[in-house]
Amino acid sequence: MLMVKSVLIAVAVFVFNPLIRVSQAQQAQTETQATQVIGLAGLKQNTKGKLTVVNGTLRFTHDHRNVEVTAASIDDVVTGKESQRVVGGTFGTVASLAAPFGSGSVLPLFRKKVDTLTIQYRDADGALHGAILTLPRGKADAIKKELVAKGARTSIPIKEDPKKNSADSREEKP
Amino acid sequence: MKTNVRNALAGFVLLALCFGGQLRAEAKAKQVAKIKASAVEVKMISAGELAVPPEFQVALYENLIEQLRKKEVFQRVYRDGDQTARNSENLVTLQCGVVKFKKGNETMREVTTIAGATSMTVRCEFRNKAGDLLLSRDISGKVRFFGGNLKATSDFAKKAATVADENFSSAAAGS
Repeated sequence: MLMVKSVLIAVAVFVFNPLIRVSQAQQAQTETQATQVIGLAGLKQNTKGKLTVVNGTLRFTHDHRNVEVTAASIDDVVTGKESQRVVGGTFGTVASLAAPFGSGSVLPLFRKKVDTLTIQYRDADGALHGAILTLPRGKADAIKKELVAKGARTSIPIKEDPKKNSADSREEKP
Repeated sequence: MKTNVRNALAGFVLLALCFGGQLRAEAKAKQVAKIKASAVEVKMISAGELAVPPEFQVALYENLIEQLRKKEVFQRVYRDGDQTARNSENLVTLQCGVVKFKKGNETMREVTTIAGATSMTVRCEFRNKAGDLLLSRDISGKVRFFGGNLKATSDFAKKAATVADENFSSAAAGS
């Protein structure tokens, strides 16, 4: 009886294993609020929506409409933090673009800090498109990591956060 | 007295007609001088040795394409690398490179109104299929008082589209 039970459990684990893997994969997807500043085909400037990476595709959802860019078609993906590191300047300088030009400029001190994600991708005809997205601070890195893992290219390699690394190394100490 | 007024009026009308005719002739001469091109391929903006953030390059590129399409100077506006552009007749290539760039600060701009302006100068070169230079212009983009730093890219794009409108014509292309 015990043997039958263990065989049944083994079979159940074997059968449901792919489901477990699928649910893990879904958990790995990042979903965040975002604003498309410029560049995504068919969308107006400063369109707000949700940004996800699903099955190797960057998906921007606005008003039940999806605009998708496959990771493999991305020639370059750069976050605002990386851009600042390489070029210099103030982090989040395009934050104000989430609002139309000039609007909301009366209270610049109350603006939320945001991160940016700049991508360059090619369509089916090989035509180059550029898009700028603003996301909540810190979300751009996760999106970039997922895209690069799925085949997107980048001119600035991902740099691990030194604070995170030092925290990890502290934890590893006995 | 009456004759004097009449003469003065006649003279004024004559002058106006002459001046108007001259203006029309100049405008016509300008139109004739326009370069014929029915399509343009916009290349990605190059930064050269300058430290230009990628978001500025992308915004310059996208705004430029949008403004050229809005102005309807060319029948077709192609993006960099578009394979369908190969078959296009009277195609010109627009290559822009940033030659001067000063990134400002929006908060500084709004607080002081005299400091923190973002400015850039972009060299725009129009070439034909053989690679011969048709037109080269340095066009600036600025944001002085209100708006995000990237507004300078929109300012540049509007000016570049106007330059294209003044120098190119697609109406007579191919005819």
